[in-house]
Amino acid sequence: MARIELTGIQKRWGNVWGVRDVNIDIADQELIVFLGPSGCGKTTTMRMIAGLEDPTEGQVIMDGEVMNDIDARDRDVAMVFQGYALYPNMTIYENIRFPLRMRSVPRSEQDRLVREAADMVELGDLLDRKPSALSGGQRQRAALARAIVRQPQMFLMDEPLSNLDAKLRQAMRVQIKHLQRQLKITTVYVTHDQIEAMTLADRIVIMEGGLIQQIGTPDQIYSDPANTFVAGFIGAPPMNLIEGQVKDNRFQSAGVTLPDLPISWDGPVTLGVRPEDCRVAADGGHLIGQVYGVEPTGDMTYLTLKAGDRLIEVKADRDYRSDLDVTCHVTFDPQRLYFFDPKTGQRIR
Amino acid sequence: MASQRRKRGQNRVVRYLILGSWALFCLVPVIWFLSIGLRPRTEIITPQPIYVPTLSLDAWNMIWSDWPMGSYLRNSVLAIVGSVAIDLVLAIPAAYSLSRYTYRGREDIGFYILSTRMMAPAIVAIPIFFLFRNMGLLDTIWALMLIYAAINLSVVTWIIRSYMMDIPQELEDAARTDGASDLRILWEIIIPAVLPGIITAAVIAMIFAINEFLFTLLIASTKNAYTMSVALANFTGGSDGVIYNAIALVAFLAFVPIFVVVVAIQKHLSRGLTMGAVKG
Ligand SMILES: Nc1ncnc2c1ncn2[C@@H]1O[C@H](COP(=O)(O)OP(=O)(O)O)[C@@H](O)[C@H]1O
Ligand SMILES: [Mg+2]
Repeated sequence: MARIELTGIQKRWGNVWGVRDVNIDIADQELIVFLGPSGCGKTTTMRMIAGLEDPTEGQVIMDGEVMNDIDARDRDVAMVFQGYALYPNMTIYENIRFPLRMRSVPRSEQDRLVREAADMVELGDLLDRKPSALSGGQRQRAALARAIVRQPQMFLMDEPLSNLDAKLRQAMRVQIKHLQRQLKITTVYVTHDQIEAMTLADRIVIMEGGLIQQIGTPDQIYSDPANTFVAGFIGAPPMNLIEGQVKDNRFQSAGVTLPDLPISWDGPVTLGVRPEDCRVAADGGHLIGQVYGVEPTGDMTYLTLKAGDRLIEVKADRDYRSDLDVTCHVTFDPQRLYFFDPKTGQRIR
Repeated sequence: MASQRRKRGQNRVVRYLILGSWALFCLVPVIWFLSIGLRPRTEIITPQPIYVPTLSLDAWNMIWSDWPMGSYLRNSVLAIVGSVAIDLVLAIPAAYSLSRYTYRGREDIGFYILSTRMMAPAIVAIPIFFLFRNMGLLDTIWALMLIYAAINLSVVTWIIRSYMMDIPQELEDAARTDGASDLRILWEIIIPAVLPGIITAAVIAMIFAINEFLFTLLIASTKNAYTMSVALANFTGGSDGVIYNAIALVAFLAFVPIFVVVVAIQKHLSRGLTMGAVKG
């Protein structure tokens, strides 16, 4: 059982802000992902949950108990670090056993628990090796084993996969999610990779500049973004954001014309449309542009159009091909258009 | 292909020639010492240098029978080992504190420690003499241990600190979340990780200590506390005149153990010596 609440958390070093205002309520057994660009305060927030950093303001509450004054080693959270942080002078076996030893688990228990944890991450054969004799993926699994061995109240994982190559990253991602479901331990997972966030999370917390931009399930974050930052961060390629003018319920921008808007608005507006909600049409359409680039990927083709001095991404059929500078018509899915106030970046509903 | 291979071979010959001559240049004094130490007194001062002397163990026998060489050796070893032990016990926690905790004046403290090396030792020679006299430690190896430890403490702290600064913060954070106390972290994580640095620092301290002369001369007045370095100077006095072959032999014998240790750890040593400088 571990429910974590962060209320009014701020972190400042002198006049450098780490985190400006963070409020999150993490449910028991939830897998929550902090997502945001580098420097947005993800690690800082996580370190405050671990007790490795003291909040300047606000409270860290665990199962109703304020944890601010409780030392990291008494919080019973296990952390997996980006650089693995395996103890270099110890074997993998000793590494995994270390937290048990520190918590005075009976000696007779230790061996069994270490082997169970190692088996869970398929590391049973490598227990006698030193960390330096393992590959990146194996080290990652050793770090995981060290975290799961003592069945903590909570897992904290700080970009645990970012040092692995793409293929391994996907395999480990599945394994982490599987382990988390199996062990039913509340987990905070930090990443700057939106695919990782979408695939792993029960809920995603999107951060930027030390502030939370949106909290929601992956579906909510994808289909109902709160502002242009979230809209532009999620999706590959991300949502097209097109600045234009609304007049008489009609959106107008270089190469783009949209009648019958679902919003009542007048003046400058930012239109958001995802590449996957665009369709190449024979003629007419909402967008007319020149073909700027065609990138086949196998299962689809990325088409980049130039309208005015703006580039717009479209996901076209897998067999779509075109010469450059050809005029191309595109229609948008009218159910999936997003409008944002260009001054605040907030969604207009 | 063949010509290329020949060229490689030639390059290697040239390289060994250059390195070999440099090594010879550096080693000549050492070889010359050994050669003087192993010849009779009559062959030392001659109008023509004698390159191939008569082998003689006169000096060897003399240093053991006429002088308390055993005491000198024991004093040296005890004073040096003791001083290095004191240094490590004090320097390791100090270095850890300087490398990890942030507190007001941390950088200054680091600098103060190092600045103790910047002063000419002669300046404090007289006060130190009186200090040890008042403590009743004159002419004891305890005084030598303390003074060697004091001289080397700054360098030892500085070297160990720079190794500790290379340990990623993550490693300590991991240990802390795993439930380890500060002392545990120091003992089980930090010290094993900086062991090469600790060994380097210890060897550098040993070299300084074995060569220490001024304070030893001041403190030691009999074989109770004479070390090899001061004993060497004593061969020059007395009614026998200057006994060059004994001096040379003792100097050579004092050189050998350090030489062996340095060769054994030379990979770490160069890093230890340059590190404080580049990392600041
Ligand atoms: N110990 C520190 N001292 C000063 N500034 C820090 C410290 N740690 C982090 N910061 C700053 O806080 C901000 C957030 O950092 P961090 O939480 O590491 O970001 P993220 O993990 O999202 O990349 C950054 O601007 C960073 O420079
Ligand atoms: Mg980070």
